[in-house]
Amino acid sequence: MSADVALSSEQRIGVLKRLPLPASRRAYAALFALFAVSLCALPSFVSGYVMTLAVEAMIAGVFASGINLLTGYTGLVSLGQAMFLGFGGYGIAIGTALLGWPLWISAPVTLVVVAAIAAPIGAICTRTRGVEFLLITLAFSQMFYGAAIKLRWTNGSDGMTGIPRPDLSLLGVSADNPTVFYYYVLAVAVLSLLMLWRIVTSPFGSVLVGIRENERRMMSMGYSVANYKIGSFALAAVICAVAGILQSQYTYFVNPDAMSWQMSGEGVLMVIIGGANVVLGPFVGATVFVVVKQALSMITEEYNLFFGIFFMLVVALFRGGVLGFISTPIGKRQ
Amino acid sequence: MSALEIRNLRKAFGGLQVISDLDLKVPPGQRHAVIGPNGAGKTTLFNIITGWQPPTSGEILIQGVPVQQGRPDLVTRGGLSRSFQKNMLLESVTVLENLRVACQAFDASRHSVFRSSWSFSDVIRKARRAAEQMHLDTVLDRKVNELSYGQKRQLEVAIALCAEPKILLMDEPAAGTSPDERNSLIELINGLSPELTILLVEHDMDVVFAICDIITVLSYGRVLATGTKDQIQSNPQVIEAYLGRRHA
Repeated sequence: MSADVALSSEQRIGVLKRLPLPASRRAYAALFALFAVSLCALPSFVSGYVMTLAVEAMIAGVFASGINLLTGYTGLVSLGQAMFLGFGGYGIAIGTALLGWPLWISAPVTLVVVAAIAAPIGAICTRTRGVEFLLITLAFSQMFYGAAIKLRWTNGSDGMTGIPRPDLSLLGVSADNPTVFYYYVLAVAVLSLLMLWRIVTSPFGSVLVGIRENERRMMSMGYSVANYKIGSFALAAVICAVAGILQSQYTYFVNPDAMSWQMSGEGVLMVIIGGANVVLGPFVGATVFVVVKQALSMITEEYNLFFGIFFMLVVALFRGGVLGFISTPIGKRQ
Repeated sequence: MSALEIRNLRKAFGGLQVISDLDLKVPPGQRHAVIGPNGAGKTTLFNIITGWQPPTSGEILIQGVPVQQGRPDLVTRGGLSRSFQKNMLLESVTVLENLRVACQAFDASRHSVFRSSWSFSDVIRKARRAAEQMHLDTVLDRKVNELSYGQKRQLEVAIALCAEPKILLMDEPAAGTSPDERNSLIELINGLSPELTILLVEHDMDVVFAICDIITVLSYGRVLATGTKDQIQSNPQVIEAYLGRRHA
């Protein structure tokens, strides 16, 4: 970069203002570092049960991050992202359990196939907007959910079992060990997070934010908005599929429930709770979601009722989600 | 060759004829105003020229190339850029980000996924230049929703200029501005390159007379008159239909 356009620290802070993040890069980096160190140290301090919850929260966080790219950054609210969660799970199951491919081939092939399927679906869905987009994504999701229930070679509603975890024997450990699997999920989650952060801070990401802000203006600037929306849809699908792969490895199986509309709805809730268009938001939302739901389910069988009340309180009191609320100066909170 | 040529343009919404047999030629570098009472078809004309609405019949050529309907992005890439009557800005981001995104649209970096958008120095340099051109360089780090209305109007024009257009369409750029803001905007527009062709829709005749060489008057979707300021001011039909006695 030439000297005359090198960004001053003030300008860099200005850049950060594009997103509702904490006031400075240093604060954000510190928050991220604290988050990462806490997660790395977690297995040393907590029980296996808490670690299990943490694994579930991280997988849900990756899934919600995919939704966030589409919903928070591009402004397209989807109720069909669970189909890609299912595609990830079924893809890895078909590759490893059915075709006998090793995991290191099955995983990338699954992600490429998911992107290839998501692009034409995205091309159809992104021709609509608002409620229509929400409904058409839901329709696609339900279509694949129905197909997964009926297909015999994927064992219909029973789903597929025998999905392997990664072979880490070279490192002298087994991913079947809960602590090792925790670190494996953590590594994938951090990589997904970094990838998402890079996408949303890239020129491509800034176009997505522009589309969310004012689609007509972006077209008038000379952007082929349709192509960017399809790109966002496909990338979001790949991130959701990564979560699907982790989920199926976590449980060693996948069934059509992974593609249910409830799963998509829960992902959207996580994004709203944590903070849309904040990179860490979905992880915070997923953690809150998993922990609160688990805590409520231990107290009452009607936990969904109380979770609904909890969600309403979050929406009412934490404008912009938990992270959005924290990052907004006190005087500007509404 | 004309910068912009419109041939036999017609536009009807159902039974309502909004534009009828409209012909217009704007040579390169001309400052051309389209005026007329409300409902004369001015904004519809702009929307058709920029590809937002299809014409019922007729042809629009930008530097000799027919406009592809339904693709405003291609119209902009073809060298015609526009500002909007109502602000169409990226409200929750900064002025610099608005301009950077606008300049990025014409840079190969626009597809980049794995590099920071702030690492493309040429795009940032262009965005800063556009800001300076429209006197927005002191508010670069301000979010758009913190700007005054006049500054927002200036940003509208600055964003349109980021495309480095050959033709600039401005839809009521001074609408809603204070007298000071209006004078500042006139000065800024008159300071743009003389090679830039400008087509202006404006109700404020002081703005029109201060900026434009040629004026076309629309009435009920038809061209009532085309001419210089003096010709238009002395045209009895125009006085009757639109101007009134103050500008005659």
